[in-house]
Amino acid sequence: MKNRLKVLRAERDWSQQDLADKLSVSRQTINAIETEKYDPSLPLAMKMGRLFDLCVEKIFTLDDVQATEPRRHGAKT
Amino acid sequence: MLIPILHRKRKAAEAAAQALKDDVGGAIELNRRIYGTRLLVRGLLWASVYLLSRGLLELTIPSSAARVAIALLPTPFFIYYLWTWMKGVSEMDELQRRIELEALGFAFPAAVVFLMTIGLLDLAVTLNPDDWSLHHVWLMLPLLYYVGLFRAKRRYE
Repeated sequence: MKNRLKVLRAERDWSQQDLADKLSVSRQTINAIETEKYDPSLPLAMKMGRLFDLCVEKIFTLDDVQATEPRRHGAKT
Repeated sequence: MLIPILHRKRKAAEAAAQALKDDVGGAIELNRRIYGTRLLVRGLLWASVYLLSRGLLELTIPSSAARVAIALLPTPFFIYYLWTWMKGVSEMDELQRRIELEALGFAFPAAVVFLMTIGLLDLAVTLNPDDWSLHHVWLMLPLLYYVGLFRAKRRYE
C-alpha cells in the first residue's frame, strides 16, 4: 500500500516525532509507515485522516487499484 | 535487600511517568524505557534464582521434598518475568505488538523443528544427556525468541 504521509507531514513542517506524538504511537511506527514497510491498522489510518482533515483514501492507496476493483455485474472476462 | 531497591526504582519510574503525563511522545519513550528496565531487572532476578536453584540441586541434599522445593523456586520469578513481558506488550503500540508477534511466529515453529530434530537424533545415535537433556535444551527456546525479535525489528527499521 502506498501513502502520502511524508508529503503531508512535510507540508505541515512536522517531524516524524511530532506526528508520532499527535497519533500516540512511536516514531518507529511513523517511519515504518512512511517507508511502506508497515500498513497501519484501520483505527490508526482513520486517526491520520482526521488529523490531516482528509479521507483515508487520500492518504493511502492500494498498489494496484485496478486489480482489486469490484468486477461489474455481467462484465465479460 | 533487593526488594526495597526494586520498590524504590518502581516508585521513581512511576513519578517520572506522572511528570511527563502531558508529554505524549516523552511518555511513550519513557514507557518503553521503563518496560525495558523492568524486563531486564526481573529477568536478571529470575536468572539469579535459577542459577542458585541449579547450584543447590547439584549439592547432595538428601530430602526429596527439599529438592522439589528448590527446583520449584525459580518458577514464581519466571512467572513474574512473563507477567512483566505480557503487561509491556499490552502497552505497546501496534507496530511494536506486530514485532513481538512476528518474533513469536518465528520462535515457535523454529522451536518445534529444533526439538523434533533433537528427538530424532536422540533416537538415531542417543545424544549425550549431559549436553542435550532438558537441563540445557530449554535455553534454546528464549534464544530463538530473541533471534525472532532481532529479525522482526530489522524488518521495520
